[in-house]
Amino acid sequence: MIRLENLTLDIHGQAILRDVSLDIEPGKVTGLVGESGSGKSMTALAMMGLLPHGASTTGHAWLDEGDVLAKSEREMCDLRGNRVGMIFQEPMTALNPVKPIGEQVAETLVIHGRATRREAIEIARARLARVGLPEERFALSRYPHELSGGQRQRVCIAMAVALNPELLIADEPTTALDVTTQAQILDLLKGLVAEEGMSLLLITHDLAVVAGLANHVAVMQAGRIVEQGPTEALFRTMAHPYTRKLFSASHHKPDRAKQAQGAPLLTVENAVRDYPTARRGLFGRPGSFRAVKGVSFTLHRGESLGLVGESGCGKSTLTRAILGLDALQGGAIRLQGQDIHSGPRLASAIRRRMQVVFQDPYGSFNPRWRVERLVAEPFHLMDQRPHDIANRVASALDDVGIEPAAMSRYIHEFSGGQRQRIAIARALITGPDIIILDEAVSALDVSIRAQILDLLARLRAEHGLSYLFISHDLSVVRAITDRVLVMRSGEIVERGETAQVFAAPTHAYTRELIAATPTIPADWQGDLHA
Amino acid sequence: MLRFALSRALSLALSLVVASVVIFAVIEVIPGDPASYMLGLNATPEAVAALRDQLGLTGSLPVRYFAWAGGMLTGDFGISYTYKVPVADLVAQRLWISLPLALYALALSTLIAFPVGLIAAARRGSVTDYGIMGATQLGIAVPNFWFAMLLVLVFAVNLRWFSAGGFPGWEGGPLPALKALTLPAIALALPQASILARVTRSALIETLSQDYIRTARAKGLSRRQATTRHGLRNAMIPVLTIIGLQFSFLLAGAIIIENVFFLPGLGRLIFQGITQRDLIVVESLVMLLVFAVILVTFLVDLAYAVVDPRLRRRA
Amino acid sequence: MKLNAQLWIGGVLTALFIAAALVSFIWTPHDVTALTIADKLKPPSALYLLGTDHFGRDLLSMLMVGARTSIAVALLAVGIGMGLGVPLGLLAAATRGSLLDEVVMRGNDLIFAFPSLVIAILITAVFGPSAVNAILAIGIFNIPVFARVTRGGALRLWTLDYILAARVAGKGRLRISFEHILPNITSLLIVQGTIQFSLGILAEAALSYVGLGAQPPTPSWGRMLAEAQTMIYTNPALAILPGLAIVAMVLGLNLMGDGLRDLLDPRVRRARG
Repeated sequence: MIRLENLTLDIHGQAILRDVSLDIEPGKVTGLVGESGSGKSMTALAMMGLLPHGASTTGHAWLDEGDVLAKSEREMCDLRGNRVGMIFQEPMTALNPVKPIGEQVAETLVIHGRATRREAIEIARARLARVGLPEERFALSRYPHELSGGQRQRVCIAMAVALNPELLIADEPTTALDVTTQAQILDLLKGLVAEEGMSLLLITHDLAVVAGLANHVAVMQAGRIVEQGPTEALFRTMAHPYTRKLFSASHHKPDRAKQAQGAPLLTVENAVRDYPTARRGLFGRPGSFRAVKGVSFTLHRGESLGLVGESGCGKSTLTRAILGLDALQGGAIRLQGQDIHSGPRLASAIRRRMQVVFQDPYGSFNPRWRVERLVAEPFHLMDQRPHDIANRVASALDDVGIEPAAMSRYIHEFSGGQRQRIAIARALITGPDIIILDEAVSALDVSIRAQILDLLARLRAEHGLSYLFISHDLSVVRAITDRVLVMRSGEIVERGETAQVFAAPTHAYTRELIAATPTIPADWQGDLHA
Repeated sequence: MLRFALSRALSLALSLVVASVVIFAVIEVIPGDPASYMLGLNATPEAVAALRDQLGLTGSLPVRYFAWAGGMLTGDFGISYTYKVPVADLVAQRLWISLPLALYALALSTLIAFPVGLIAAARRGSVTDYGIMGATQLGIAVPNFWFAMLLVLVFAVNLRWFSAGGFPGWEGGPLPALKALTLPAIALALPQASILARVTRSALIETLSQDYIRTARAKGLSRRQATTRHGLRNAMIPVLTIIGLQFSFLLAGAIIIENVFFLPGLGRLIFQGITQRDLIVVESLVMLLVFAVILVTFLVDLAYAVVDPRLRRRA
Repeated sequence: MKLNAQLWIGGVLTALFIAAALVSFIWTPHDVTALTIADKLKPPSALYLLGTDHFGRDLLSMLMVGARTSIAVALLAVGIGMGLGVPLGLLAAATRGSLLDEVVMRGNDLIFAFPSLVIAILITAVFGPSAVNAILAIGIFNIPVFARVTRGGALRLWTLDYILAARVAGKGRLRISFEHILPNITSLLIVQGTIQFSLGILAEAALSYVGLGAQPPTPSWGRMLAEAQTMIYTNPALAILPGLAIVAMVLGLNLMGDGLRDLLDPRVRRARG
């Protein structure tokens, strides 16, 4: 039995956690949900005794009879990896790049003196097989860089459960993974809990993930647990307003009037895009990889078209080609009949009709420019710069809900959501027909995301815009698009009306994607939808 | 791994060819006629013609380049104009001072720098750390030849523990020879050790902030275990880079330090070559130095691949 | 606190030497070219604040003019390194993976095989020794240093979305390099510039010590040391003062560089912003 009792944490005098109390029952999955900065990861690190410098705690974290917070560093070393294991969000960097995976798993056993090196390797072999990395296909001598993200997360899990800990803490274990991989990892965790009888503390921002996995859920906001209880009961009642807000934000569907189908605007015909791989030596020829294999589709005026696929499916490469940033190796992309790739440089007359919003609100702006200059940058595409730039920037900012006074400020003074609004203003400034939204809401917390989706819906209605909405997130695509394309390994495998594709997918891959997407059972949500 | 080594070896060979062309061009092409340059203004045309003949300057440029480069490959560095002996013999004699000196200094520098950098990183923010950082900051600022003069002043002039210069040769056994090289090696090593200690410290601190160190701690490794088992090897990569770069600084430094201690090494030879306008000696020695630097770069590349499995596949 | 202290101490030391060098253009306590053999090897006095050397020249005046030589050589060498290295680095990064990038980088590696002393030896063997040769030798060695730092910093920026946004706004790689990349790597370049400046001071001292730098009668710290070496038994002060000047100047620059890095490091700044 693990019990947090009035856990309070300050770091350098700043309040991080306040009176957190939580029971983690053996053999059960406990979900801890919250948006970024709510303190959920710090709760986990406090239980591991791995808090950063300058942290001071009060309260207790009982592990059976002993208070973890009162233990010495030496005692904590005995405990970590032995009685409590932990896995983290980013599997790509969580493993030591210069040690073979077998050795890294065996180390858990060796360090706790549970096995000799030789025995430890044997156990590591069995553990890796258990997490889905059988030795026949994944030799113990492999290095982390030879494995995919999902496979690396499996290694991390094998490492964390090597000694059958009583508690496994998983901090956003699947956030960095594709949806199908996420489903597999969650299945694996579920199986381990059932088989080994350990407790799992699952930390995530995604309500749907806990709904499918947890027995008990705690919702965290600004360092406090605002509501907790058995999963189904909690979802059915949603007693706390914040829980309700989180839920409705994650299911948010902007109101949008069905728009009349316009004429074809952007047509992609058999687009082929090869990606050069690294040059081998001074005289070596660069290799090439076909990332887009003959893709065709049409985007109509006023339409919102979704493009869904997992990482590496070629959707980013296709986006770059549509934007005219990379040349095509075959096929054509036309904007109202004008070929985008006809000349060596894309004519600015075409380019200004098509703008883009990127995923990362932090990398999307030159930190040394003021907002006015940032938003005005696409005016470079005009034959001559308009003389009322300041007015136009002000009105674009006003359009996206940013006060025009912000023009003279630098980008670091804005939050992630505000930055995304400014990015939209920059895309609007030339009065384009099409805006490409490349994972434009993926980096945002759900409540902010809902607001941006509303904004996008309003702008589309007001300006008659067409959207190409690229995302790995099916629920968002479902909420905002009229039609959807499903892309896999450089090809479109399914296309159709969004509602229809989600209701009755025809391609096996689409079905797999939809099945893998965590959802909250429909009958748990009755009250809110009524 | 073999593929990687081969591709690096190819690039080593290529660098050598390009470097040799550059050196050849600078020495033989740019100043006009080397023979009249070497003999000075008052030389008779006959003397110049004779020297041209002796230097093999009569052929076309490519012919002369291949003769020179081919000679270097077979160990024939030409005949020194001033000493009238094969340059190869001069180099062979002098190499036995310069090379041990550079290696001695490299060993000293590494032996001092690693533990010091480790301690500073382990006690980051402590008084020890600040002390080490301050001392290394000073160490970097000290020119090695001036430090050498101070060493002479203290240990040779005042304390009389060492002689102020000269070299007894290896014939009298390794100890006297090593003793004569000790002050020069210390003078060379200390500034380099300061740099290396700082790099070791910052590389370790950088490594210790990586995710896999947190993973290791979550497995139950203590801070020290995580550092030694996971931090050190990853921190080696930037440290290796610096060691490689330092070798060329040590070689160059050795040339200068030899002047302070009157050591008859390659450095003395090269400066004599310059003052006596003996281009054959200068050309061959510069090529030799450049060869040494390129070779060390190659070895460092191989060492990277040993340390980091991610590099082994990259050709 | 520590950050400010580093920057302050370093800045004051550096400013002191630069001031001494500038003043030496219009005034020195004594004429450094006038040899007053009668006053040779005088200890410090009211007339000669730091004493005189074996030709009766005032040491303080020599050190002031020596600072001028050192700073001029190091500064011009940094100028050569930046002037050629930064554009090359920007160009290599802008055309990443192309043959041009490959050639620039291999060229860099090649120059790295020629330590500045070796370049100086080559140049001197051909043209004879002079301060200009020292500048060239150190400057050439600085080119790959700046090219590398620039390319590394630029490559990191090229992956950011604001660069893509600029391309979508129709801007070419050259314009992006100067509008977006260069302003965002200036802090990197300032810090590297300080480091190369201090290395330049050390290299100039070493070159003039072995006679490959500034020639008589131009005073330089390195040659003052070379001349003092023969008198180290009798007049150690002559060998100590110029050395201390080098150490103080280099230390000042390095402290300033570290202070600037802490001040300008985006990671430190972002944590606050």
